Amino acid sequence: MTRPNPVTLIIALCFLLCLLLPLGGIADYWLYTMTIGFYYALLASSWSLLVGYVGRISFAQAAMSGLGAYVALLSAQYLGLPPLQGILIGTLAAGLVGIVVGLLTLRLHGAYLGLTTIAVSEILRITATAEHQLTQGTRGLPAPPLWQGIGQTGYYYVFLSVLLVSLGIMILLLRSRVGLFFQAIREDEDGAASLGVRVTLWKVLAFSLSTGFAGLAGGIYAHFIQLIAPSMMSMQEMGYILSMAVIGGFSNVVHAALGGILLQWLLEALREIGEWRLVIFGVIAILVLRFAPNGIFGSLEKRFGRGRP
Amino acid sequence: MTTAPQLEIRDLVKTFGGVQALRGINLQFAQGELVGLIGPNGSGKTTLLNIIGGYYAATGGEILLDGMRCNGRSPVELARIGIGRSFQVTKVFKRLSVLENMLVGALALPGSSRREAEERAMAVLGSLQLMRLAHQPASGLSGGQAKLLEFGRIMMLHPKIVLLDEPFGGVHPDLKRFMYDRIREWNAGGVTIILVSHDMGSIFGLCQRVVALSYGDVIADGLPEAVKADPAVLEAYLGDHHAA
Repeated sequence: MTRPNPVTLIIALCFLLCLLLPLGGIADYWLYTMTIGFYYALLASSWSLLVGYVGRISFAQAAMSGLGAYVALLSAQYLGLPPLQGILIGTLAAGLVGIVVGLLTLRLHGAYLGLTTIAVSEILRITATAEHQLTQGTRGLPAPPLWQGIGQTGYYYVFLSVLLVSLGIMILLLRSRVGLFFQAIREDEDGAASLGVRVTLWKVLAFSLSTGFAGLAGGIYAHFIQLIAPSMMSMQEMGYILSMAVIGGFSNVVHAALGGILLQWLLEALREIGEWRLVIFGVIAILVLRFAPNGIFGSLEKRFGRGRP
Repeated sequence: MTTAPQLEIRDLVKTFGGVQALRGINLQFAQGELVGLIGPNGSGKTTLLNIIGGYYAATGGEILLDGMRCNGRSPVELARIGIGRSFQVTKVFKRLSVLENMLVGALALPGSSRREAEERAMAVLGSLQLMRLAHQPASGLSGGQAKLLEFGRIMMLHPKIVLLDEPFGGVHPDLKRFMYDRIREWNAGGVTIILVSHDMGSIFGLCQRVVALSYGDVIADGLPEAVKADPAVLEAYLGDHHAA
């Protein structure tokens, strides 16, 4: 019988610890921080699903989160839907935009693909800013709570559950033949096509799933912070997501998620040094890319045995 | 009684801007033939394979597979209807294991189960002497082993026709002989093979028929010995002086 990788066990233990954390009387401030960490974890892992497994670069993950958030709130507001249905519509809208972007960028690679997704991201952010009557622009769009009486601990568990279920879905998908096709496409599209892999279908599906998960994260986040603004779609936000995935390890959705939690926690722990913490982030990301291209967790797992969901 | 060709190429033309890579060629391939495709650099060999495999669209003419027109079909569709191909520069999936490389094509076919695919992949890897590397990343394979892995991946597709583009480039003579045996086995099983190579020893040692191209035209088509002695082929390779 194969012995489990010790790093995998530690990672499982970390998630178990997350489940028990609120029971230990942790301060609301840190519960709040961890909840935002789960939001970023979902964004980082959904980004790694696309970039790490299919090899399709995208800088539109923050924008897709914002799209999910705005559609969730506006559909709830204009159609009189409860928040959960609004979130579902936001998720579907982000997934649908993912299909469109995936189809538009089918033949693009590398820098051209990256630049196109930046353009898509900016179009969405500027639209959210300019459509003042609909979105209230930079003043922000207020949101009701997910349900009346939900407290900090409630949000914590909602986000943690959504993160764990989403990671579970991603891992199941990646362990199926679809995951194999994704990786074959990442390695060589022509080679995959020569073996009968429907490259177009799987590339578009990967884009859609990745943006759909981002939209889901954004929709819940909107009801958590209860005020969303176009700044949540900015390139700075995208930079956070990218750093989190890179530092955690973007070749593995779980590692990327852990990067999200770890870096959000660090962001708060280093709040006293102000903007310098972002410089530290950048330096860590550069060092990780140079010395541990599999990310912190990926490198540890490689050191102690092969690891991939 | 003449049997209908399995693959028929009619008046095939391909231009790249002002360059005419194929100038209206006509060829027929019967099921189970092992055909060598030769010609100097730029004669149109790989272009022809790329059109048959769906990577390039023909400018004119048509390609019929079992009497059915298959121009304009994508490489994916053609792989699914039984056209497998290898590439001049191998396209193995380096970060996947050798076994995973084998499974990609098998699992892409409709109605395949993972267990059956794994069993068959291990058997094929055994026949290619790659079984001990099944769980190693393909990035660790030598150039020759990568060529064998491409063979194995094609075998997983149960192809009717196999297009091999320079499979012997940079391969050790011992391994080359091993590859000859695998190609002959394949062919003996009824698979049609079209082999492009600059390695004349391999072409004339393996193939039952040789087609020579030059500047996008078929200049000779027939038994290996006849093609080898054909003045047009000698001229294409060696120039007027030697041909005379």
